[in-house]
Amino acid sequence: MAGPLLVGYDGTPGAQAAAAEALALAADLGADVVFAFAYWTNPQGGDVADMLAALRELGEGHLRDAQALAERAGVTARGELVSQAPSTGLVALADQHDARMIVVGSYGQPPLKGALVGSTAHKLVHLSERPVLVVRAR
Amino acid sequence: MATRQVESKGLKADALGFVSSVVIGVASTAPGYSLAAVLALVVVAVGVQAPAVLILAFLPMLFIAASYYYMNRADPDCGTTFSWVTRAMGPWAGWIGGWAIIVADVIVMANLAQIAGLYGFLLFDWQSAADSTLAVTFVGVIWIAVMTAICVIGIELSARTQVGLLGAEVITLALFAFIALYKVYSGDALDGSVKPELSWFSPFAINSTDGLVAGLLVAVFIYWGWDSTVCVNEETTDSGSTPGKAAIASTIILVGIYVLVATAAVAFAGAEAIANDESGDTLGLLGAEVLGTPWDKIVIIAVLTSAAASTQTTILPTARTSLSMARAKAMPERLGVIHPRYLTPHVSTILMGIFSVLWYVGLTLISENILYDSIAALGLMIAFYYGITGFACAIYYRRELLKSAKNFVLVGVAPVLGGLILLYVLVKSIIDLSKPANSESGDSWLGVGPPLVIGVGLMLFGVVLMFIWYSQGHREFFRRKPEVADPGSLEAPPPAQPAETAGVA
Repeated sequence: MAGPLLVGYDGTPGAQAAAAEALALAADLGADVVFAFAYWTNPQGGDVADMLAALRELGEGHLRDAQALAERAGVTARGELVSQAPSTGLVALADQHDARMIVVGSYGQPPLKGALVGSTAHKLVHLSERPVLVVRAR
Repeated sequence: MATRQVESKGLKADALGFVSSVVIGVASTAPGYSLAAVLALVVVAVGVQAPAVLILAFLPMLFIAASYYYMNRADPDCGTTFSWVTRAMGPWAGWIGGWAIIVADVIVMANLAQIAGLYGFLLFDWQSAADSTLAVTFVGVIWIAVMTAICVIGIELSARTQVGLLGAEVITLALFAFIALYKVYSGDALDGSVKPELSWFSPFAINSTDGLVAGLLVAVFIYWGWDSTVCVNEETTDSGSTPGKAAIASTIILVGIYVLVATAAVAFAGAEAIANDESGDTLGLLGAEVLGTPWDKIVIIAVLTSAAASTQTTILPTARTSLSMARAKAMPERLGVIHPRYLTPHVSTILMGIFSVLWYVGLTLISENILYDSIAALGLMIAFYYGITGFACAIYYRRELLKSAKNFVLVGVAPVLGGLILLYVLVKSIIDLSKPANSESGDSWLGVGPPLVIGVGLMLFGVVLMFIWYSQGHREFFRRKPEVADPGSLEAPPPAQPAETAGVA
């Protein structure tokens, strides 16, 4: 049986679009969905623990929302928190689950701005050995 | 829906290797920027004994580092003064410790901005702009805005980029020092040049206590940030041997670079010429004399990149401190809000940027020599919160101290000694700075020097804010009782890191 669809989910409009598309696809394919919230913070100096705890709480909330979306769509889904930079974290998680593809959102921002503020979608397309589906926010 | 822990397999947060650990330790201290900011100030305080003060000043930092190391065991993942002091000495002391970190950050941003403005103009040989307070302040404010934006968006340099930048910075400084020393011995140095003597490195050769204390206060600033090596090292790849070795290596590099550059600068130009330099860009001027154009520009670039890197290690932990305080209900909840997309504590960060601009522009209007004056105020804050952290360590582990000689020396004596030295420096500096004539600008404000008025004023303002917060019914935080370390906690191995992946199923 083919692996699940791995969806990067952080609650932003892009992630919501990605989740909607992935759930529709999963329903058609009869596949499961894994929602992932990846977080990372610079270890340099001071109160890293509280920062990580705050990020974890945020992620847990988003993953619960995503789970509710999946239930409504009638798709079996689970959530994973990944304590790693989003791009490498999603690639590693996809390997762990033998995911069939990675689905992420995009803000439809110009490439230059994406290069400046960092675009997970862009990095994933180059890093991942699995297919990557990028869904633009509406 | 229940939360459950998932076995961590291959999803470990990016661990740091030996080189990265050393780089973080040295880069957090920002040697290029620190030297640019304080070289002249140290020489004013102790003359040719500048190298000796830089060596001596490292001692209290080393002692305080011991308290960071052991408090880090109680609060894994790098706590800060706020969480540690709250734990050991209760909520009131903890709150003030956290406030001191925030104030120090606001002040250092002004200093960084000033250096960035000044050296930015020097890079393009625009001397008239570098001499204009208005132009430098304008660029400085833009710098603060850009740095704040970078921290909000969460742009971070990769470990490899940091290794490259820091490598270039250290090589540049070493090159500068060696060429300067070569010219001293070949007779090509400036008129006032002197050949280095062994007595330059001896703390006992310093005959003025005032000079020593002033030098120490400045040097507390120069080593600020080094403590993060001790914390970050906890999560390195091979925690058995890497932490100690990396901390020792970064220490040797740091002290070595400071002593080497200070010695070379004093030997090349003579103590008097450096002390009398009012421009605030000693390193830039010396760079031009030592290396000649256009090679002197690499010194300026090294200072600028170092100042930029330094913001990562000042804004970042400070925004986290206010986030920590907000989560502990010691500050408004708003400060703990995380940006939905960038996943950074953006409210704290932006607020910090606004305060920094207000302080920077305000102090520029009040005091003419903001660069030096702000360092005096900054030294007070750092000495305060490092000192209180030292005491907190001994208090927290007080029941463990007599269990072994190692505990007694490393967890008790060293942190307390570090705390006492910093307390002494703090009190002595407050007395010295209360005389307007002792401030660099010589300005008088309410009869005392501006840095002291504003520095102490900001701390008192913090006390007022704390009472307002208390009086508005936020008792949950203030009801917290001081804790004592669990018996035997120092004998046990360091606590394991929290699980790397936690699944929500």
